[in-house]
Amino acid sequence: MRAILKIALGIIAAIGGFLDIGDLVFTTQAGALFRYDLLWAVVLGVVGIAVYAEMSGRVAAVSGRPVFDVIRMRMGFGMGLLALVASTIVNVLTLAAELGGIAIILELLFDAPYGMFVFAAAVALVVIVALLPFGGIERFFGYGGLLLFVVVATVFHQNPDWGEVGRGFIPSIDSSTLYLYFVVGVFAAALMPYEVHFYSSGAIEEGWTEENLKENRLNAIVGYGVGGILAVALVIVSGYLFHPLGVEPDNLGTVALPMQGAFGETGLLLALGGMLFCVGGAAIDSSFAASYNLAQFLGWEWGRYQGPRKAPRFTASWLVFLLLGIAIAESGINPVDITEYSVVLAVVALPLTYLPVLLIAGDRSFMDRYANGRIATFLGWLYFAVIVVLALAAIPLLLATNAGGG
Amino acid sequence: MTAPGRKRAWPTILALVLATLLLAVSGCGDLSNDELNRGVESLSALAAQGELVANGVARDATKTTYARAMARTLSEQAEHEAEKLADATLEEPETADQRHAAVAVAEEIAGLLSTLQTFPGDEHHAELVEKHLGEAGEKADAIVAQLSGDAP
Amino acid sequence: MRGEGEIYVVHRLLDEQICDAEGKRVGRVDDVELRGNPPRITALLVGEGLYPRRLPRRLARLARRISGPETWGKNALRIPWEEVDELTSTVKLRKKAEDLGLGLGDDPERWIVRRLPWN
Repeated sequence: MRAILKIALGIIAAIGGFLDIGDLVFTTQAGALFRYDLLWAVVLGVVGIAVYAEMSGRVAAVSGRPVFDVIRMRMGFGMGLLALVASTIVNVLTLAAELGGIAIILELLFDAPYGMFVFAAAVALVVIVALLPFGGIERFFGYGGLLLFVVVATVFHQNPDWGEVGRGFIPSIDSSTLYLYFVVGVFAAALMPYEVHFYSSGAIEEGWTEENLKENRLNAIVGYGVGGILAVALVIVSGYLFHPLGVEPDNLGTVALPMQGAFGETGLLLALGGMLFCVGGAAIDSSFAASYNLAQFLGWEWGRYQGPRKAPRFTASWLVFLLLGIAIAESGINPVDITEYSVVLAVVALPLTYLPVLLIAGDRSFMDRYANGRIATFLGWLYFAVIVVLALAAIPLLLATNAGGG
Repeated sequence: MTAPGRKRAWPTILALVLATLLLAVSGCGDLSNDELNRGVESLSALAAQGELVANGVARDATKTTYARAMARTLSEQAEHEAEKLADATLEEPETADQRHAAVAVAEEIAGLLSTLQTFPGDEHHAELVEKHLGEAGEKADAIVAQLSGDAP
Repeated sequence: MRGEGEIYVVHRLLDEQICDAEGKRVGRVDDVELRGNPPRITALLVGEGLYPRRLPRRLARLARRISGPETWGKNALRIPWEEVDELTSTVKLRKKAEDLGLGLGDDPERWIVRRLPWN
C-alpha cells in the first residue's frame, strides 16, 4: 500500500508533465489527421521519457545531484549556461501556454473572460503551492489528472477496429512532411525536459537515497505508463471520431468532444476536469523547473521544503517566472500556438540537457555501483541518437509544414 | 582577432538571408489553387466540428457554457477564413467562382455557429443548426471536388 | 581537508556545489586558485564577478558589463583551501556561511519575504 502511495511523484510528473496542453493538442491532432498511424510514436516517446526520468531520478537519489547540478558539473559554465538559457526560455513559454490552457478550460466551464481566468489561475497556483507541502501538491494534481480515465472508457465505448488500432503501434514512415512533423511533435510533447527537471529535483525534495531506487523505477514505469495509456487513448478516441469527419482540432475544447459524444455531459465534465488538473500540474512543474534550474546552476539554496525564508532567491525567481508566464498568456497569443513553438524548441534543446544526465548516470565515480547497467546504457544511447535526429529535423519540419497547418 | 576580410562577410550573409525570407514571404496573399483547396477543406472541418457541438446541445448532453464557448471559437474561425478567402488575390482567375462560393459558405457556417452561440441550451435551434451545418459542409466538399477537377 | 590525495580539479572540484558547516548551499566553485610549482590548490573562488572568466571572449565582454568588474569581497570571494572540510558530492566547509561572508544572497534579513503572511 505504501508503495502505491509513494508513486504519486511519478504520477504527477508524468500526468502533469506528460499530459500537458502540448500533449493534449498534439495527440488529438495526430489522431484526427492520421487516425491510429502515430500510436507507435506515442509509445516511443513514453519509453524515452521513462528512461530519461529513471536515470535522472537515480542520479538524484544516489549522488544528490538534480539535473542542472549535473549539467554544470559535466558541461562546465559556458555550455551549461547555454543549456540554462535554452531551458528557461522553453520552460517560461510552456508555463505561459499552460496558464493559457487553464484559462481556456475554465472558460469552457464558467462564463467569464479569458484574461480574468489567467490571473485567477496564477493566484490559485500560488495559494496551492503556499498551503500544501510538496507531497500534497503532487497528490492534488496527480490524482486529479486521473479523471482523464474517462478517455479510456470512451475508447471501449467507441469500440474501434482493434486490428487497425494494433497496426498503429507498428512504426510506418509516411513520406509526407506533415506526418514527419507529427512524429517529432508527438515524441517531443512526450519528452518535455521540464518534466525531468521537476522529477529529479522532486526526488531531492523528498529526500531520496539509494533505498528509494526501486521506487524511482516504479515511478518511471508506472507513472509514465499511466500517462502513456492516457495519451494512447486520446489518439484513439480522436482518430475514431475526428478522422472520418475531417475535423481539425485546433482548440483545446475539441479534445473533450469525443467524451461528450460517448457519455454526454458527465463525460464532458470528467474530461475537462481531468484536463484542468493535468494542465495545472504542468504549470506547477514548468514553473518549478524554471526556478530549480536557475538556482541549481548558480548554487543558490533551493527547494519548496526549505520555504521562502531559507531559499528567498529561489522563491522570488519562482514568482518572477510566474509573472512572465502571466504576461505572455495575457498578451492574447493563442496558447495552442505558443505550445507548438515551445514543443519544437524543447526538442531542439533536449540534447543539451539529456546528454550530461546520460554521461553522469553511467559514470562510476559519481554513481558507484548504481551506474547504468547494460540495458540502461543501451536504451540511454539509443534514445540519445533518436533525440539528436529529431532535434535536427524539428525546425525544418516546423517551417515546411507551417507549424502543422499544412 | 578575425582577419578584416572575415569580418565583412557577416553583413552580406545577413542581407542574403533577409532577401530570401522577403521573397518567401512575398508569396503570401496570393491564393494558389492548393491554398484555396485547403481553405475550403478547413471550412468543411469547421462545419463538421460545429455539427458535433450542435448535436450535443440537441441531445441535451452537454454543458451550455462549453457549447457557447466552442460555438464562439468556431464561428470566429469561420469568419476569419471568410475574410482570408475574400481578401486574397487569385493566382488562377478561373477559380473566381469557387472562391466566391467558398466565401458564401464560410459566412453561412459562421452565422449558424453564431446562432448556436446565442442559444447554447436550445435543443430545437441546435437541431436545425446541426442539419444546416451538415448541408454547408456538403457544399464545401462540392467546391473542393470542383477545384480538384479544375486542377491540371 | 579530510582524506588528502589526488583531486580531479576540473572533473570533481570546479563547478561543484559548496555547502557550509550546517549544510546550507552557498554557491558553486566558480574558479580555483592554484599556486606554486608543482601547482597546489590554495583557494576556491566564488561569485558573479568570476563568470566572465569562464565564458568565450565575445560573451565575456557582455558578461563583464552585467556583472561589473571583479570586486573582491563583493562579487568575488576567496575561500582559502584550509576552510574546506570534506569533498563528497559537495564541497563541505568547516565554518558557517556568515563567518566566511558567503550565502549573503539568501540571507533572509535582506528580503521582504520574511514579512509575507505565511511565514
